[in-house]
Formats: sequence, structure tokens, C-alpha cells
Amino acid sequence: MPSESKSWPGKALHWLLGAGLLLTFDFAGRALAASLSLSVPGPVLGMLLLLLVLMLYGRVPYGLGMVAEQILRLLVLILLPATVGIYFLRDLSGGDWFALIAAMVIGTLISLTLTALLLNHLIQRRARRRGDHGQ
Amino acid sequence: MGSEMRNLWLQWLSQLEQVASGFLQPLSAAHPLVILPLNIAGFWLALKIYRRTGTPILHPVVGGSLLVFAGLLLLGVDFAGYQQGSGLLYLLLGPAVVALAIPLKQNLVMVRRAGWPLMLGLLVGAVLAPLVAVVIALLLGGSHMVLVALATKSVTTPVALALTEQMNGIHSLAAGVVAFTGIVGAVFGPSLMRLLGVHDERVTGFTLGINAHAIGTVRALEVSALCGAFSALAMGLCGALTALLLPVLTSA
Repeated sequence: MPSESKSWPGKALHWLLGAGLLLTFDFAGRALAASLSLSVPGPVLGMLLLLLVLMLYGRVPYGLGMVAEQILRLLVLILLPATVGIYFLRDLSGGDWFALIAAMVIGTLISLTLTALLLNHLIQRRARRRGDHGQ
Repeated sequence: MGSEMRNLWLQWLSQLEQVASGFLQPLSAAHPLVILPLNIAGFWLALKIYRRTGTPILHPVVGGSLLVFAGLLLLGVDFAGYQQGSGLLYLLLGPAVVALAIPLKQNLVMVRRAGWPLMLGLLVGAVLAPLVAVVIALLLGGSHMVLVALATKSVTTPVALALTEQMNGIHSLAAGVVAFTGIVGAVFGPSLMRLLGVHDERVTGFTLGINAHAIGTVRALEVSALCGAFSALAMGLCGALTALLLPVLTSA
């Protein structure tokens, strides 16, 4: 991480640059998705694009790191409108509600368990194998 | 290509204009100057409560949304009005998803070291998550609408919003399913991992990202940056994968 001792106009400039980069890659992702008529949402493409560019660049620019940390800390707030939407779902029959909630709660717990156990098994096996080769 | 870029730009501008004009409307209960502070207050209060109690069931995702919902009931605002008032937050959704690339980059070495087991886990998890849910709903006699909404389960909220626009109709239901699934995963995920004896933060993060998307990633970021990075990676890849597969499957 770069030094903390940046004067505030410099910091503000870096912040604006970082925010501009996020907007640019959001836009670039959307443009790419639209022009190739992909059904992958633009922002997700934008995230992968930014990752690629950062890998080529070698490090995270100061301002970008600053803005990203701030926006990620507010992620819950940004997602609130989507979350609040749950409580407004009324146009379902009683049986549908039951099936839906059971599927979401039990289904998520089952798939969490299965994914975690599979990943854990695979990663540990690989680690053991590497260990055998004397790493 | 050029005209598409222009369209996109205009679309973005009109969205911005909508948000701006929302502020210029006469003051009402659904005015952004009421709704935005409500959102912020709900989030802030929920965060305080969560930090004091420390129980995952009161995670800000749950507490915040409940507080905001209670506020909306008191104000007598419906969901459409709330959505309009929250326009500014919708605008931030895209940049926030893009920002997930930063923890990803910062932990890339660890991601690389985990290698192909991750990709295999991703593939299995991305198929498994919606499949398990759809099978359960099918056994319980859920309607077609419920089944389609559940099929979008393993994509992240913004992704689901984009996807269901293409598959039309069940917009709010699918968004609700994704958000609720995220909450279940975020609330119970880390304790479940401990119960299963999984102590690897990479596994916890990746599992949360596949099964609980953005909300799971919020939780994973609380565990550690490494955990958050794996969750963001899983979310991004899983979203891309299902977003590619789902329209093909549903049109067949």
C-alpha cells in the first residue's frame, strides 16, 4: 500500500480517479455484454475486466483501493432495496409459499454443506499431494 | 457497436436524470429525501445492533431490511414508491459489483494456489444450488412460477435482476428468492462450516459466494479479506456461468 501521508487535494484527486475507474469498468462491462449480446450482466463482466487489467497492471492504484473499500463497506446498504422487496411478495398461494420457503431454507443448507465438503476434500487432497513432493 | 454504445450511454443518462428528477418532486412520503435517510438509518441502526449483540440472525441484511420495511409501513409507502425513492442506491449497484475485483486482485496469489479444485467445486456448486432447491419445491408441489424463480437462485441479486428481465414476469419474486437465499447462507453459513469441521477460510468464502452471492460476500468480508476474495470470485464466476446457461435451459 502506498504511503498514508498524502495531502487532501491529492487524496481527493486519487479518490475521483478511483471512482471514475469503477464507473468506467461498469460501463465497459455493460457495453461488452450488449455488443456481444451476452446474457451475463454488465457489472459482473466489468468486475472480471477490471480484475484482468489489475493483473496486467500489477497492483491496485491507491485511489481505487480507497473507493473500493468504502463502497464495499456500504454493500449491505446498496443491496437494501433488493432485500426489502422480499416482504412485499404477496401474490402467491399458501402452498406455493410453503414450497418456496422450504426450498430456500433446506435447499440452501444442503447445497452449502455439499459444496463445502467437496471443496474441502479437493483442496486438502491437493495440499497433501503437494506435501508428498516435499513442498 | 457504436450505436449500441450510444444507446447504453443514453440509457445511463436517463437513469441518472430519473434519480435527479426524483429529488425535484414535491415532498411526499416516497420522496428520495425521505426514503434515502430511511435506508441509511435502517442500515446504521441495524449495524449498531448487530455489533452489540453479535448474533448472525441479526445481521444488518436482516435487521436493516426489517427496520426499513417497518418504516415503510409506518409511512404508508408501497414497494414501487420505495424503489423509486431508492434510485440512487440502484445506481451504485453496478460500481459496487465492479469493486469486488479489488479484494480479488489482492488475494489472487492464494486463489491461484487453490487452482483446479476451485473450478470443479464451482461447477458442481453452481449446478447443485438451484437443482436442490427446484427438486425440493417440485416434491412439495410448487407452481411453475416458483420453480423458475428458484432456478435463478445461484446468481447474485443484480444478476438476477438483469436475468429475469429477459425471462419476463417474475422479476420481484426471483429477486426475493436470491435475497432470501443470500440471507439464509450469510446467517447460517459460517456456523454451519464450523459444525462441519471446515476451518479453511478459502472454502468458507467460496461456498458462501456460490450459495449466498453478494449477501454471502458481505458476510465473508467480515470473516477476512481472504474469505471475501474467494466469495467474490465464486460469485462472479457462478453468476457468469448460470447467466450463460440459464437462458439456454429455459428456452429449450
